[in-house]
Amino acid sequence: MNRFLFVFTSLIISLTAQDDMLELIDDGTINPVPVQATFKATRIVNSQSIELTRPKTLEFMILHRFGSMNNGFYDLFGMDEAAIRFDLKYGINDRISLGAGRSSLNKTYDIFTKLKLLKQTSGGSSFPFSLALFSKMEISTIDQDLSMSDQLTFDIQVLAARKFNPSISVQVMPTFIHRNLVQTANESHDLLSFGIGGRVKVTRRVSINTDTFFPLGERNESFKQSWGLGCDIETGGHVFQLMITNVQGSFESDYIENATGTFDELNLFLGFNITRVFSL
Amino acid sequence: MIWRIIFLALMVPLFGKDIYFTRSGTVSFFSSTPIEDIKAINEQTTCVLDIETGDVSFRIPIRGFIFKNGLMQEHFNENYLESDRYPNASFTGSIEGWKDITLSEKLQPVSLKGTMNIHGISKDISESGNILMKGNRVIGSATFKITVSDYEIEIPKILRDNIAKVVDVTVDISLKKK
Repeated sequence: MNRFLFVFTSLIISLTAQDDMLELIDDGTINPVPVQATFKATRIVNSQSIELTRPKTLEFMILHRFGSMNNGFYDLFGMDEAAIRFDLKYGINDRISLGAGRSSLNKTYDIFTKLKLLKQTSGGSSFPFSLALFSKMEISTIDQDLSMSDQLTFDIQVLAARKFNPSISVQVMPTFIHRNLVQTANESHDLLSFGIGGRVKVTRRVSINTDTFFPLGERNESFKQSWGLGCDIETGGHVFQLMITNVQGSFESDYIENATGTFDELNLFLGFNITRVFSL
Repeated sequence: MIWRIIFLALMVPLFGKDIYFTRSGTVSFFSSTPIEDIKAINEQTTCVLDIETGDVSFRIPIRGFIFKNGLMQEHFNENYLESDRYPNASFTGSIEGWKDITLSEKLQPVSLKGTMNIHGISKDISESGNILMKGNRVIGSATFKITVSDYEIEIPKILRDNIAKVVDVTVDISLKKK
């Protein structure tokens, strides 16, 4: 009996004599840290990503879509035409960013905000996903005769994203769009859709991205589901996003509801986004 | 007899090593080039000193480095140090000639020798620092240089003029008794 106890005691002693000194002071608590870089840019391809402009940072973005590729070499796959958008965003803190932009398509101006509500964390008591709210007001100024209120469109999106591992991230985005003016009486002012996007990182600085929006409820016969397939290339202070998509506009009410392109005769659009950030 | 042994078994962990430690040590680095200066500070460094043997261990969580520029911080984690795969940098070693050192309020130069692990790459290093004892705290500091390529941290060509090949590292710790 005594011998057994002695062996038992020495076992306990040997178990408590740790090799790694750091273990001696580990109290078992790991602080959860926010997951970084779910996406490289504030857009996935066409759609908004969960990423906000960083705090105290000004972000300038150029979103450029060429014309339809269906004329082939005649206009070098649409390169002669362009729909261009500029926007400028500012990160107030790590949860609020504000921005304003102008798109050549329908001469549309817009102001928007993105709010980060929840952050995915890892380590310790981790939280599984990030949640953000995106809202925007668009003013289409191409028809000068319309009253101000008839020129307005409102977009609200809930963005929920999860970075599953360093290379794979997935985002879902229930979307509500309200148009003050519609073309025909049987069109609805309010449109619901459900977007899905994601990325796969292929190297440390390059990722393949895609996004699409499924319509919920009735649409016109001419409606086409929009999609984009792109590639992010990150250099120092820039992110370049090259893409092929079936929609030319790069603001919410257009790229979600007004897709025109089809694979027939290659009626698709090439384009790119460039993000440049300035620390203030 | 039985009680005596159980008592012994309970006491042994308490007679453990005589240890000084911190979980909030400061490690910073500074990269200077004609184009830009980059600085990051980490205030979550864990350090343990065995006051009997002079053995020292550091653990530096890579995500704990705070940059002024958030984009740089993201690139540092994502592209350079790959903190998803290598969450910590570490140093395990000892202070040379510990037996001949008597800690006092006077700053004493010491030499540390051991293994540095950054970005999953281990390298034997020997660097000098200073140590002193103030009240019940052991205070240590060191400044040394790290060659980025020694730890297989790749800098793309277009940023080679922006990031120094050798960065200055500064360590400041204040250890309390466990």
